[in-house]
Amino acid sequence: MEEFDTQLQELRRGTVVLACLQLLRSAGYGYSLLEQLDDHGFSTDANTLYPLLRRLEKQGYLTSEWNTEEARPRKFYRTSPDGIRLADTLTTEWRSLATAIASLTEEEH
Amino acid sequence: MTATLTERYISATIRSLEPGMRNDIRAELEASIADAIEARVAQGEAAQQAERRVLAELGDPGILAAGYADRPLHLIGPKYYLAWWRLLKLLLWIVPLCVAGAMALGLLVSGQDVGESIVQSLTVGLQIIVHVGFWTTLVFVVLERTGAATGVKWDVDQLPEIPEDGAGRSELIASLVFLGIAAGAVVWDLVRGFFPTGGEPIPILSPGLWPWWIGILFALIILEAVFAVALFRLRRWTTAMAVLNTVLALAFAAWALILLLRGELVNPEFLSFVAVAGGDGFAAGNAQAAGNGGIFRILAVLLGCGIAAGIGWDIVDGWRKAVRERGTARG
Repeated sequence: MEEFDTQLQELRRGTVVLACLQLLRSAGYGYSLLEQLDDHGFSTDANTLYPLLRRLEKQGYLTSEWNTEEARPRKFYRTSPDGIRLADTLTTEWRSLATAIASLTEEEH
Repeated sequence: MTATLTERYISATIRSLEPGMRNDIRAELEASIADAIEARVAQGEAAQQAERRVLAELGDPGILAAGYADRPLHLIGPKYYLAWWRLLKLLLWIVPLCVAGAMALGLLVSGQDVGESIVQSLTVGLQIIVHVGFWTTLVFVVLERTGAATGVKWDVDQLPEIPEDGAGRSELIASLVFLGIAAGAVVWDLVRGFFPTGGEPIPILSPGLWPWWIGILFALIILEAVFAVALFRLRRWTTAMAVLNTVLALAFAAWALILLLRGELVNPEFLSFVAVAGGDGFAAGNAQAAGNGGIFRILAVLLGCGIAAGIGWDIVDGWRKAVRERGTARG
């Protein structure tokens, strides 16, 4: 698949945002989210994800809170109400895109 | 105690960030990196190797910092690139040419050696090119980082006209008419004169140029006419035509500049007539300009530079059209 790497990357861009917003409906921290994304098939680089979380927080789609109860203090992120609305909008768009793409190949079957 | 790799990585990352963000990002990165190392160690990797791998995966701290600070990793992005490039091209056409030209003119008028004047103005021209390039780019780099609007919006009306190939009927007629007028003027100058003298006509061109030098001039004019007709029949500029055009232009330049430099182009009788007709005013002006070799020398320098500039443009224009023609032929 390496020959199509650029195109695949371009198609995937933006899906990570949606995946984060959906996964963070229940709070999570950086590394756990990285693993969750990987498990769900959105393999993301750490150096993309960590700044992305900050950006989404700055834009008001995520809220954050430091949890210092455990031995290692961690910053937990959670999708804000605005973020949930964004996630719903993006999901709807994704579905309509999936339908549209399916309609492209329908005649072949 | 020496700092661990992780500490060095984090400090390299947050060094360029705003002080307000630093502590928060440091704490978060510490936890994230520790988590990642822990996961690798749990899978049986040695702690040191795990740390190296995790940091290597995170990549260049500069990129990570740019991500945190939302900083562009390019000098000029797509939003400003075209505005920058268009402005730069325009300025690079105009400014160095004007400055170097003015400089050459000034040096020549003040009596400097021709070669030295050319070298000096070329040096200044190169300096100007570097300056224009640097400062224009700097302005756009700042714009890119402050996000200001350039106010440049594209409009359909800005579409350029399709450039004429310069090998059409109107070009042919224009050059034939011009050459005809030039030849006529040379003859008229000898036979009738261009201004009233109250007696015998005084030609502007030196009569000593007849018949050989003037013969060469007429031969060149005829060659130019043949060239114009050939260009019209060919319907387009080619490399060969551009070469021919260059040779002809250089021949013209050589003809005019050799005579000008030897002081044989203009009729000395005509010059003394002008000096006499100018009276006291002219004599005073000439005395003032004596430091630069007198009014006639200044005029000769201006004329020479004008000829050189015109010929230079003619040559460049021919090559420009030939190159463009080749581009369209290929496309």
